[in-house]
Amino acid sequence: MKVVMFTPGLKASAIGRMTTLVVHALRAAGNDVTVVRSEQDALMSKDAHDFGGEVLQWSNLAAVGAAVAAADSVVYQVGDNYEFHIGCLEWLERAPGIVCLHDFFLGHLFWAWAHHHPARADTVLKSWYGEAVASTYFRHPNSDAFIAATAEAAPMTEWIGGMALGVITHSNWGAERLCRACPGPIHVVPLPYNAPAGSDATSQGNSRNFHVLTIGHVNPNKRVDSVIRAIGNSPMLRDHTIYRLVGHIKTDTVVSLSGLARNYQVNVLISDELDNAALVNAIDQADVVTCLRWPSLEAASASAIEAMLYGKPVIVTDVHFYSELPDDCVLKIDPHNEIESLQNALEQLYQSPELRRQLGARAQQWAQATFRADHYAECVTNMAKDVSRARPALVAIDRLTQTLGRWGAGTDLLSASHTADPLRLFTTGGNPRN
Amino acid sequence: MKIALVSSFVPFLYGGARNIVEWLQTMLEKEGHQVERIYLPEIDAPDLLFEQMIAFRWIDLSAADRVICFRPQAHLIRHPHKILWFIHHLRVFYDLWDSPYRGCEDDLRHRGLRDALHQADTAALKEARHVFTNSQVVSDRLKHFNGIDSEVLYPPVFDADRFHTRGMSDEIVYVCRLEHHKRQHLLVEAMAHTTTPVRLRLCGSSSGTTYPDTLREQIVRLGLQERVLMENRWITEEEKVDYLADCLAAAYLPLDEDSYGYPSVEASHARKALLTTTDSGGVLELVRDGDNGFVAEPTPQALAQAMDKLYLDRGRTAAMGERALARLDELNISWSHVLKRLLA
Amino acid sequence: MKVLIVNNMAPFVWGGAEELAVHLQKNVIEAGHEAEILRIPFQWEPASRIPSQMLMVRAFELWNVDHVIALKFPAYLIRHPKKTLWLLHQYRQAYDLFDVGQTNLPPGAAGEELRTVIRNADNESFAESRKIFTNSEVTRQRLQRYNGFDAEVLLPPINDTELFGGGSVGDYIFAGGRINDMKRQYLLLDALAQAPRNVKLLIAGPPDSPADGERLRAAVERLGLSDRVRLDLRFLPRATYAEYLNGAAAVAYLPFDEDSLGYVTMEAALAGKALITTSDSGGILGLVKHDETGWVAEPTAAALAPVLADACGNAQRAAARGAAARSLWLSLDINWPHTVEKLLR
Repeated sequence: MKVVMFTPGLKASAIGRMTTLVVHALRAAGNDVTVVRSEQDALMSKDAHDFGGEVLQWSNLAAVGAAVAAADSVVYQVGDNYEFHIGCLEWLERAPGIVCLHDFFLGHLFWAWAHHHPARADTVLKSWYGEAVASTYFRHPNSDAFIAATAEAAPMTEWIGGMALGVITHSNWGAERLCRACPGPIHVVPLPYNAPAGSDATSQGNSRNFHVLTIGHVNPNKRVDSVIRAIGNSPMLRDHTIYRLVGHIKTDTVVSLSGLARNYQVNVLISDELDNAALVNAIDQADVVTCLRWPSLEAASASAIEAMLYGKPVIVTDVHFYSELPDDCVLKIDPHNEIESLQNALEQLYQSPELRRQLGARAQQWAQATFRADHYAECVTNMAKDVSRARPALVAIDRLTQTLGRWGAGTDLLSASHTADPLRLFTTGGNPRN
Repeated sequence: MKIALVSSFVPFLYGGARNIVEWLQTMLEKEGHQVERIYLPEIDAPDLLFEQMIAFRWIDLSAADRVICFRPQAHLIRHPHKILWFIHHLRVFYDLWDSPYRGCEDDLRHRGLRDALHQADTAALKEARHVFTNSQVVSDRLKHFNGIDSEVLYPPVFDADRFHTRGMSDEIVYVCRLEHHKRQHLLVEAMAHTTTPVRLRLCGSSSGTTYPDTLREQIVRLGLQERVLMENRWITEEEKVDYLADCLAAAYLPLDEDSYGYPSVEASHARKALLTTTDSGGVLELVRDGDNGFVAEPTPQALAQAMDKLYLDRGRTAAMGERALARLDELNISWSHVLKRLLA
Repeated sequence: MKVLIVNNMAPFVWGGAEELAVHLQKNVIEAGHEAEILRIPFQWEPASRIPSQMLMVRAFELWNVDHVIALKFPAYLIRHPKKTLWLLHQYRQAYDLFDVGQTNLPPGAAGEELRTVIRNADNESFAESRKIFTNSEVTRQRLQRYNGFDAEVLLPPINDTELFGGGSVGDYIFAGGRINDMKRQYLLLDALAQAPRNVKLLIAGPPDSPADGERLRAAVERLGLSDRVRLDLRFLPRATYAEYLNGAAAVAYLPFDEDSLGYVTMEAALAGKALITTSDSGGILGLVKHDETGWVAEPTAAALAPVLADACGNAQRAAARGAAARSLWLSLDINWPHTVEKLLR
């Protein structure tokens, strides 16, 4: 089948990397794939992943319109980042398709979109979450407060779910909301990912030091400060651990973490972003990788999967996606007793190279069998077949909605009961007598 | 009662599809009902289909006590008392999907559209209080594709009393549009194989194709100018009544048509035997071989044999003509029956 | 050419617009074309349905049609590359009737949104039309005022001109047309009571309601005019109507502020009958010129009484004014062949 795949293309996007695997798998299975890059025009000059084949930019309306009209299936890779996924939002309504949802919490995506579409955003908030939520949604003082207030009450999962013909997502914990919002099928499929440098463990770190690694943007939810405290609380760890941070980090975070490390007498190495080769080297050198999240907003963690594919022992927070990982493949820590739990886990791993070796091996074996692109591609094409029936009516309704928009309708005039009821025939099969 | 008759139409294309609606309107008005006729434009293009169907769903005919829907996709209309006199599906999405007529790619997108159409049609059909069709062929298709049970309600001709018999000449008439799928050429070919002086008259208009020229050439090539008369023009109602009144028998042998065709019913009212073929489709619901006519294999030789039989055994031909009229009653082909069933 | 006339339909309701469409079809065919009428069911209650009705018309696909003539909202939203409008009606409840509070559009933001949608859709259709005609000056002005589009007034011609051959000057004034308060037939009765005994009056036409007919009957009785007034209050067969008109001394038509010339006035002028109307009758004054084609009086019984006397008392004058009325009517060139030619240009 002909697939049009919307995805961020720039190298900085882990989702983009995942998509290259899926696109190659789809092609290997005999499908024709056109990739449409969904990031802001301004980001198009950044280094991009290699998708092979035809790549369009979402803002090329004519070419994308033609591709979408001729497609058997349109797929959107959606994550909680407006700059990276703006193209998905622009096309999702006029070219209904399948959404591959990477984050259940989409508050940042929604918030940025809302600034360009205030009236529509208000309608969306009110219809999914009610007046009370809508009235306070934009009034939170900072990012942490915003996440805290809205992660449960208004995660915006329903907003995207309601626009999709069907959703593929990567763990179960947020799927309930999708089932309620999306008229089509919801499937949970393991997120495909890869270990580009191969999975052969080279050195086992023959230095006496204990290398702990955290990869990715250094945000508070990665719990870096907790790791520092946990190491600092343990004399054995404190004396032997080098804790390395690889990933984008803000200057004031460098300052605060450095201060914390000094207080706790922990050896912290801050690397900022590294190129591929250097990153692979850092992973190779690591004895343990920490993939902590609190709060956890994502459907799955590419970095945790990557670490497992490299055969590394991984420490995760026992929540959401991570709880679904097998107990014998990762070490899970209790978020409500975080530092003590972390300290125990790190000490365990420090004291037993054998434990590290076994955990890593089991993780690698399990990850290789689970996070597969060919399986994911098959799920995409199966869902495409399922939803192909829903598409014609939805495309027609979308065209009518666009006409109303052109005529200046501000609200959803198609939802008035006299107007909407006759259309149920196309979605639910209508009533025997009306 | 206030009755709305709804059908899809193409402006300026007339014929069978409109006759059934307009004749029904006249008969209903004769019975004292108030009738409103609604014709809605429709094109079968796949990418435009669903928007048009949505448009049909928004039509409000609540002022009517009852709504009767005919050609597709008129059956999408909403009404608490919806009756369907279902003439045909959008066949390229149904039984003609695997044929050269499909007109779109057989890819996932269009198969999805086809399946969505089947679903929508089925749901709309289920809304009806009663589903009638114009032939068993169509009823079978409704059952097979949509799981819907229906009652065959044969369409009568208008003002059937004008048809009568006046005698039997040597001439078999085929009063019908001159078109390839009506297969006048098969009869001309058959004439070359006849052994009796039986004659053939082909009369009807053509829609600007080269078919009539092909027929003319064929007649000349086979040396049949003396025995085959061709009138390529619109035949008036009066002329048709006359031709049927005087003819030996009437032919109607289209290739696999759903419905029996008005010509066969008109000939039956004129008490004339019918000539058709085994692959003509719905007309076989009317014609029984040896009873009210002959059903021949679709070969020139078999048709020639049947034509000679009609010529030679006139007694039998006349008797079959009487049976043709009686058969109309057997199948309830009458306006009184139609009104009774539609207004039940 | 294949000409499709597109109009609304209110199921089981048949009115002036439907009549006009039928006559238009007949005359388009007479001009040598093929013509069909597409009648689109339109439901405007409740107002929240209107968007769906508009989208419905906009979604229709036409083929095998060379030219479209559309008459009303939302019928004229239909898409076709060669579309001419003969505007009988916009959706006035979004425009002038909205301004005077006579509308089914809801108050507040919801109503405003509907008005916006209607106006934008209208403007889009007007812009994509080849040419816009209206059936009256009032409609033309409204279109200009509310939508900013220019249009040409194209008055609907008389449908069966052959019936109005006129005749000699009779001894009665004929008042035709629908019977209701706005048409003010009662004013003629009041005037007749003040006019000389020889003045006779024939009022014939369908009352809008039984009460309208009763009012006239009661007035005739009250004023003691039964020997001088004949009332034939029903829907008249065309031939009967023509007979009454052709045999009159003069024809009176004095509605309050009517949009157009008025069919009664047009038919009377064609028949060469002198015309009587009042100064506030609006469009009627287009045909009635005081002392030329008839009489224009103040809308009072006292002012009308001498007019009625004059019309009935002076056959020569009545004939002369009747002839002038006919001349004026013919000079306006309002006939079907001309109308069809303009619509299909």
